[in-house]
Amino acid sequence: MTTWYEDINDGDSMELGQYCFTQEEIIKYNKEYDNQYFHTDPELAKYSHFGGIIASGWHTACVGHRLMVDEIKKREEAMVAEGIVPGVSGPSPGIKKMTFLQAVRPNDCISYKLTVVSKRPSASLPGWGLLFSTIVATNQKGEKVFQSDVASFSKMRDFKPNMKQRLGMWAMKIPLLKNLIKR
Amino acid sequence: MTSNPVTKDFLHFEDLYLGQQVDLGNTKVTKAMIKEFALEFDPLPFHIDEKAAKASLLGGIAASGYQTGAIAIKMALKNFPGTLASSGGMSITDLKWKRPVMANDVIGGTVTITLLKRAKSKPQWGIVNLDFDIKNQKNQTVMIMTLNNLIDVRNPEIGLEGIT
Repeated sequence: MTTWYEDINDGDSMELGQYCFTQEEIIKYNKEYDNQYFHTDPELAKYSHFGGIIASGWHTACVGHRLMVDEIKKREEAMVAEGIVPGVSGPSPGIKKMTFLQAVRPNDCISYKLTVVSKRPSASLPGWGLLFSTIVATNQKGEKVFQSDVASFSKMRDFKPNMKQRLGMWAMKIPLLKNLIKR
Repeated sequence: MTSNPVTKDFLHFEDLYLGQQVDLGNTKVTKAMIKEFALEFDPLPFHIDEKAAKASLLGGIAASGYQTGAIAIKMALKNFPGTLASSGGMSITDLKWKRPVMANDVIGGTVTITLLKRAKSKPQWGIVNLDFDIKNQKNQTVMIMTLNNLIDVRNPEIGLEGIT
């Protein structure tokens, strides 16, 4: 999100855009990462219960992530152009559940939408909050094909560290100490 | 018997066992691999740009978590003692990116079968849970996840009684 942690509300959502999968791309991804006959060979895939070649579920997830990165970048640039300082997104600690609901086939156009479900301050990273969001992907027929319940860090704008936290943050800036603390 | 000529010699439900563990071998994640993947799926500065990566909390080029997952799935398919007669993944649960994978880290680890059961309504399929534990060269876990997958049953007519 480009909103600061403090300003994010449950239910806030963001359309991430649409992506049309080509057979060529599906095969290219799968030959590298998910080499199974119903992912790589249109002829052999006819023998599978899918009846044809389908995208890897992980590929579907990766494309959604790419669209999210692009959308955030676009919004950040627009905010900066207006003189607004955008909120800062951090890395994702994980995904509670990713569900592959329908096959994604060549020439399917998939739309992704992110919705914030809840948020709370991070227990491990002072100055950061955690957002729990759901990414839902829908095909051109309106069928839900994929859902991912993802957690991500979001920086606090108004965070005032206490003495102990300030010491910790200062120590993290020293390379050797940083390595020691990480272990 | 299964009628799919493609999968007849693949590993079926009957060939797997609970607790079965597969070593994933090793994959060196080079800077070039990280940049190539990130440009396609995760074009954030700390995956691509040396300077931005150095200034980030991680202190260097790190792989996209999605890349670690993609490589994990690739290693699992490659290192199972045969080709799995999979009928597709249904879900992934409890995925955690525990540590960054830095450029030139070597990742490996294990996949363990933690659930193996017949599907009541679909006699042709079994359900298998594959627990991934991906580690770096220091034996530190970098990522975990559980893949819930459908696996073809070789003889669907046998052994359905007693399944709840």
